[in-house]
Amino acid sequence: MAKIENGRQSADSRSIRTISSSRMDDESSFGSDSEINGFTNDRHTDKYGFIGGAQRYSEESAQDVPPEVLRQREIKWLDMLSNWDKWMVKRHKKVRLRCQKGIPPSLRGRAWLYLSGGKVKREQNRGKFEELDSQAGDPKELDVIEKDLHRQFPFHEMFVSRGGHGQQDLFRVLKAYTLYRPEEGYCQAQAPIAAVLLMHMPAEDAFWGLVQICEKYLPGYYSAGLEAIQLDGEILYALTRRVSPLTYRHLEKHKIEPILYMTEWFMCAFSRTLPWASVLRVWDMFLCDGVKIIFRVGLVLLKCMLGTREKLKACQGQYETMELLRAIEPRYMQEGFLVREVLEVPVSERDVESEHHVQLKRWRKNHGELHWKSPPRMHGARAIMASEPPSRQDLRQNPTIIVKSPLPPPQPTPQLKKGEKKGKEEKKSKKKGSMKKTPPPVTEIPNPYNLPGDSKLPLTDPLPQLTLRDSPVQNPLFNDTPLSNTPKDSHLAQQPALNDQPAFNDQLVLNDQSFLKESPLQKSRHSLSSTEADHQDTYL
Amino acid sequence: MGSDEAYNFVFKVVLIGESGVGKSNLLSRFTKNEFNHDSRTTIGVEFSTRTIQLKGLVIKAQIWDTAGLERYRAITSAYYRGAVGALLVYDITKHLTYESVERWLKELYDHADPNIIVMLVGNKTDLGSERSVPTEDAKDFAEKNGLLFLETSALESTNVETAFQNVLGEIHRKVSSKEVTRGSISAVSLSSPVPRAAGDPEETKPCCRNL
Repeated sequence: MAKIENGRQSADSRSIRTISSSRMDDESSFGSDSEINGFTNDRHTDKYGFIGGAQRYSEESAQDVPPEVLRQREIKWLDMLSNWDKWMVKRHKKVRLRCQKGIPPSLRGRAWLYLSGGKVKREQNRGKFEELDSQAGDPKELDVIEKDLHRQFPFHEMFVSRGGHGQQDLFRVLKAYTLYRPEEGYCQAQAPIAAVLLMHMPAEDAFWGLVQICEKYLPGYYSAGLEAIQLDGEILYALTRRVSPLTYRHLEKHKIEPILYMTEWFMCAFSRTLPWASVLRVWDMFLCDGVKIIFRVGLVLLKCMLGTREKLKACQGQYETMELLRAIEPRYMQEGFLVREVLEVPVSERDVESEHHVQLKRWRKNHGELHWKSPPRMHGARAIMASEPPSRQDLRQNPTIIVKSPLPPPQPTPQLKKGEKKGKEEKKSKKKGSMKKTPPPVTEIPNPYNLPGDSKLPLTDPLPQLTLRDSPVQNPLFNDTPLSNTPKDSHLAQQPALNDQPAFNDQLVLNDQSFLKESPLQKSRHSLSSTEADHQDTYL
Repeated sequence: MGSDEAYNFVFKVVLIGESGVGKSNLLSRFTKNEFNHDSRTTIGVEFSTRTIQLKGLVIKAQIWDTAGLERYRAITSAYYRGAVGALLVYDITKHLTYESVERWLKELYDHADPNIIVMLVGNKTDLGSERSVPTEDAKDFAEKNGLLFLETSALESTNVETAFQNVLGEIHRKVSSKEVTRGSISAVSLSSPVPRAAGDPEETKPCCRNL
C-alpha cells in the first residue's frame, strides 16, 4: 500500500469522523474543501490538486513546459479541435504526435473528450445524462458506490471533502452508469477512472468519457467475472516474454500470476500507480492510441524492475518480487523517462490482437466459453471515430468562451456575479470554434490574455476573431506561469460564454443556451443533497 | 521489509469479507499501526508483512488483502494459494455483511487449503451504538463452524493485535503438531531458505517446513 495514503495519524482521523455528510454541504461551498477535513494552508497543494505530496509530484522531477511553448501548443490544439474530423482523418499522425508530447493542461479535458468520442456521444444523446441523473438508481448499487466515494484520491482537494462537490459528482457519474448499463452494474475500479475524468471536466462529460473507456477502450474490464482483465493479464505475460525474456522466466519460475500485479495497473489505467504528471501523459497517449499504451507501460515497469540479473538477485521469491513491483522506483515512473520508454516498446495493436487470439483459445480450453462476451475493443481515437462517425454538428465546440480585444465595458451576468462572490480567478479564454486556420505570425504570438492597458492586438491580425470575455473578475490573470495547470480550471472553460456579442456565429449562442440551463442536480433524488447554488459554484 | 531478518516460519494469511468492512485498515493497523478513514478502495491485491515472536520462534506474517466486491471473487484463486490462515471480516454495524459470511466460508473452502485456520472477525466495535450483529450470534456461528472469533476495532486498535496473534498461534500449533498430514499444510516459503545471519549458521532454521 502506498505510504502516502496513510499519512494521517489515527488521532486526526478520529476528529474528522464527527463531521457528518449533511453538514459538509453547507460548509464546503465556502473556501477550499480541503480546509474542512483538517488540512490547513500549511499543507501544500500541488499544481494538480494533490495535498501534502500525495501522488508523488515533486518539483525536481517536474517537466514543466515553458509558457511560450504551451501557448503554441494550445493554439495548435484549438485548431485541431475546431476541425477535428479533418485532423483525425487526414492528419492523424500529427494528432498522435501531439498527444505524445502531452496535451496542454488547459485543453486536456476538452481534448480527452474529443479523443475518446465522448463529445460525440454527448451530442448524440442530449438529455440522456440528465435523465439518468434524475433517476433513483438501484439501492444495492448505490450502497456500494457510496462506500467508495471517499476512497478515491482522498488526498486530492477535489475529493477530500466528504459529501463535497467532487464526491457528489463522482456519485452522479457512477450512478448514471449503473442506470445506463444495468446489466453491467458497478465495478469499484470505475471510480478512480471517473475521478480522473472529473478532475478535468464536468459530470456530464466525465460520464460520457467513462462510457467510452468502459465500452471502447477497455470493454469487459469492469464486467462481472472480470474475464477481460484476466485475459489481458495473460496477454501482458506473453508479451513480457518478447520484451524481456529474463523477466518472463523469473515470473514463471516463481509462479507470479499476472493478476497479482497488473490488476490495479490496468483497471485504473495506472492512475493509482504513477506520479500524477506521468498519469496524465499516459492518459493522453492512451486515449489517442488505445490499450496498447497500457500494455507498453506495464512492460516498461516490469522490465525496469525485473529486467536485469542484478535486480533479480534481490528477488528471491514470489513475495519479494511482488513487493518490488509495488514499489517501482520513482526514476522509472518519471514523466520524461516513462514516455520515452513507452514509445520504444515494440508492441503494436496487431501484436495485442494476435496475442489476444492465442490467449482466448487457451482460456476456452481451460475454462470453457467466456461468460461475458464483450464487444471488440477499439484501439484508440481514430478507430472509435470510424465506428461512431460524428456529424459536423456533433463536433462543434460547445461552449466556448470568446476572447476579444480591446475589452468592452464589463457587463455582469448571473454567472459572473457568482464568480465575483467567490473571488476566484478566472483565467480561461478560448478562441472560438470557427477560427480561421491561418498560421500565427512567426515572430509574435498574439496574446489572447491581454489585460486592459496592455498592447492591443492589431485588429488586422487574422487570428483574433477573439473577443475577450468581459469579466470584471479579471485580476492578475496574467502571470508568467503556464496557463492554469490545475485541473479544476479546465471547468472554467466549460462555463458558458457571456453576454458579449460574439463576433459571429449565432449557433454559438444557441449552443450556450443549453449550458445556461439550471443544473438538474436538485431533481436528483440521490442521498447526497446539494443546492443549486453550490453546484454552479463548483468549478469556479 | 526486512529480507535480511531471520525467521523460522512464513505464514500467509488472507483477509476476506464484504467491501467496506475494514479489511485494509485491519491490515494497516496490524502491520504499520496506521488507520485511515479514507484508505482507498482495494483493487487487485495488497499485502504487507510483520514479523512477530511466538513461543520463542520468529514468525513472518504475510497478510494479504483484496477487494471485497462480489465480482472480484473471480480472480481470487491466485490470492488464496498457499494461505494457511484467514480472517473473515464483517462489520458489526451492517448486518448484511454478516449475512454473507457463509458465502465467504464456502468460497474459502473452495479455493484454499482445507486445514486453513479461520477467524471470524466482527470489526468496528468503536461504533457500538450502531451495532446490528449481536456478539452472541456471531460467537455461536463461529463455534458451530469451528472458527475462531473476536470483535475488533481497527480504528481504536482494539483486539487487532490479539486477533492476528491468535490466528498465527493456531497456525503454528497446527503446523507443529501431528494433526496435520504431511504436505497438506505448508508454512509458506518463498522458495528461498532463510538467509543465514552472519556468523550464526546454526541458529536460523530453514523457513519452509512441510509437516
